[in-house]
Amino acid sequence: MALKQSEAVVLRSYPLREADLLVTFFTRNEGKIRGVAKAALKSRRRFGGALEPLTCVRVYYEDREKQELSRIDSCDVLQSPLTSAVDYPRAVALAHVAEVLDELMPDREVNDPMFRLAVAVLAHLPAGAIWMPVTYFDLWMVRLVGYLPDLGACVICGEPLDGERAFFQAMADGLMCARDKRLASSELSLDSRQLAAEIFRSPIDAFEKCPWPKERAADLRKMLVQIMERHIEKKLVATAMLAKL
Amino acid sequence: MSRFAEPMARLIEEFKKLPGIGSKSAQRLAFHVLRASDEDAEELAAAIRDVKANLHLCSICNNITDVDPCVYCTNPTRNQRVVCVVEEPTNIGAIEKSKNFGGVYHVLHGSISPLHGVGPEQLRTSNLLKRLDAGEVDEVILATNPTVEGEATAVYLFGMIKRPGVRITRIATGIPAGSDIEYADEVTILKAMEGRREL
Ligand SMILES: [Zn+2]
Ligand SMILES: [Zn+2]
Repeated sequence: MALKQSEAVVLRSYPLREADLLVTFFTRNEGKIRGVAKAALKSRRRFGGALEPLTCVRVYYEDREKQELSRIDSCDVLQSPLTSAVDYPRAVALAHVAEVLDELMPDREVNDPMFRLAVAVLAHLPAGAIWMPVTYFDLWMVRLVGYLPDLGACVICGEPLDGERAFFQAMADGLMCARDKRLASSELSLDSRQLAAEIFRSPIDAFEKCPWPKERAADLRKMLVQIMERHIEKKLVATAMLAKL
Repeated sequence: MSRFAEPMARLIEEFKKLPGIGSKSAQRLAFHVLRASDEDAEELAAAIRDVKANLHLCSICNNITDVDPCVYCTNPTRNQRVVCVVEEPTNIGAIEKSKNFGGVYHVLHGSISPLHGVGPEQLRTSNLLKRLDAGEVDEVILATNPTVEGEATAVYLFGMIKRPGVRITRIATGIPAGSDIEYADEVTILKAMEGRREL
């Protein structure tokens, strides 16, 4: 069978047998695939640092008949998370991106907008400035998988929320006005809703220069994580560590 | 329904829990044990029991040892004031092979790993901090892996262990000795350039 190739983002890798690695890739051409990199743990010469999670690579692989796992032939690094400084918060943010991509994406389903989002976010995730790219990523991810509710109207009464207070809750299907909010709801500030609208209008570079402390849009991120976890029906591990930073 | 008698099925199940062992290998190992002499089988069982009963962590450096403190921490010919921090006990063997490092170790038993829910507070560092605070250390060499997790661990440790008068260094990364620059990937070349030294 002929070798296939694709741009890809490495999502996870696990040791397999003696020296092999089981690697999950998000490929541009085929979506999420899993493959075995033979002897990758021993022969750093063939794969170098290319199988480190969140590395953007060109992967050469081969599908094997009647086998779920592809055979990974080789990888060229296009962009590595190790070329800029790594600290604990950045490592957690990178893990969050990998985990969300891995959990929200079905196997072998092409999603070019999501691929471009991942590459753009990884290129804008330096140590010391993680909250902008994380917010940008979470918001677009939830929208691209189709889970984002209308941020402009109350899901119960249908009234527009412009300028009004808005609330979200883990089990609700959308934002609620002050009259319809449920018990244990949290507020999504007007600032955060305006910011969300701006994020949908602008490329990530547009936000690069804005100061973005952790508090900015924290309510929006909390809502997005609730939505993601509700749909995948489990807790996101790295995401919980992100919230504790 | 298992195709094997209960004791055999149980042994196969136990082997399958070992890293890198699938059903086929587990069956092979189990049949090997079955065919082995009684003494050999008994030796294996005893060795497994022994390892759990007699090995523990060195109270100074966390290395796995049968005597506490371990052979490195009590060796008078080693420089007890230079501490090399590694992720796993097996890393010590790799460094010892070079026969070039005369200091002692500190084993973290892992690295920061957000995907597995492992944060800095889970790293075993308290006895390292105790050594530092007692003024027993001149240099700490951070020899965690050159991965995102290893890097994050090194940077985090640096913030935690810096003390006046203590030199903190990070092992170099770059082109493997005896290889060809042409085959090195971009990250490796970049790291090698960053870590270049005066001749
Ligand atoms: Zn309403
Ligand atoms: Zn020791």
